[in-house]
Amino acid sequence: MKLSTKGRYSLQTMVYLATCKENCSIRSISEATGISSGYLEQLMIPLRRAKLVVAERGVQGGYRIARSGITCHDVLSASEGDFHPAPCQDCGRSEACKTHQIWSLLQNAVVDYSKQVYIEDLASHLVEQEVGGGI
Amino acid sequence: MKISTRGRYGLRLLVDLAEHRNEGPVALSQVARRQELSEKYLQQVALMLTRGGFLTSVKGSGGGYQLKGNPEKIAIYDVLDLLEGTITFAETAPGQESAIERVIRLHFYQNLDQEVRKVFENISLAEVTRAEWFTYMI
Repeated sequence: MKLSTKGRYSLQTMVYLATCKENCSIRSISEATGISSGYLEQLMIPLRRAKLVVAERGVQGGYRIARSGITCHDVLSASEGDFHPAPCQDCGRSEACKTHQIWSLLQNAVVDYSKQVYIEDLASHLVEQEVGGGI
Repeated sequence: MKISTRGRYGLRLLVDLAEHRNEGPVALSQVARRQELSEKYLQQVALMLTRGGFLTSVKGSGGGYQLKGNPEKIAIYDVLDLLEGTITFAETAPGQESAIERVIRLHFYQNLDQEVRKVFENISLAEVTRAEWFTYMI
């Protein structure tokens, strides 16, 4: 039971951006996270669309986190879509199936907790360790 | 994050056997019909659940599978832990974990795992069978 690579990398990218005071180039994000530049460009598309990151052109251009108060849930729903632990939404037996609601419980637990964790709080643990672009 | 087919079908097999546990050994063909699942796939899952100590198999004519323990005492967490290998978001700390990966593991994935554990440790197979888990939703 794991998140997709896309989801995990998007979280790492957002945590890194939250440590940066200025715009970050794809190259600097790549150096900090070890994620390839090409893949980062892909990750940025849904994050920009969800208005979680802002891209600026020009010499001082790059990416920055769009606002404070972004949760892990915001990032994961942008990058992975809705979280469904089991493909029950397309199943015609869900009325009769007693296990169906078990997966809803799992879904609720994961969604609820992800909404409580803020990217900037994760980033603050990094800043304490003196790692991250802002230092 | 997805629960595998094995996890989902295995749990349905256990629920079905718990519901019919007063009928002696149940043939997997019956479960397959009731649950609309492939018998062949159920055989693989049943073997795994037997090795894991959740089922006993009875050979011969009239044979089949039976629940081994008391369904009140079987936690859904243990069933899924067996069927899924492990139900955790946190990956085992790899040697070259970056500082960012480490922070996310310690402060997000590990707590997420605790939340999942809390949900499943407190639900027994019997509760799922009686559909009593519904009270947890409110």
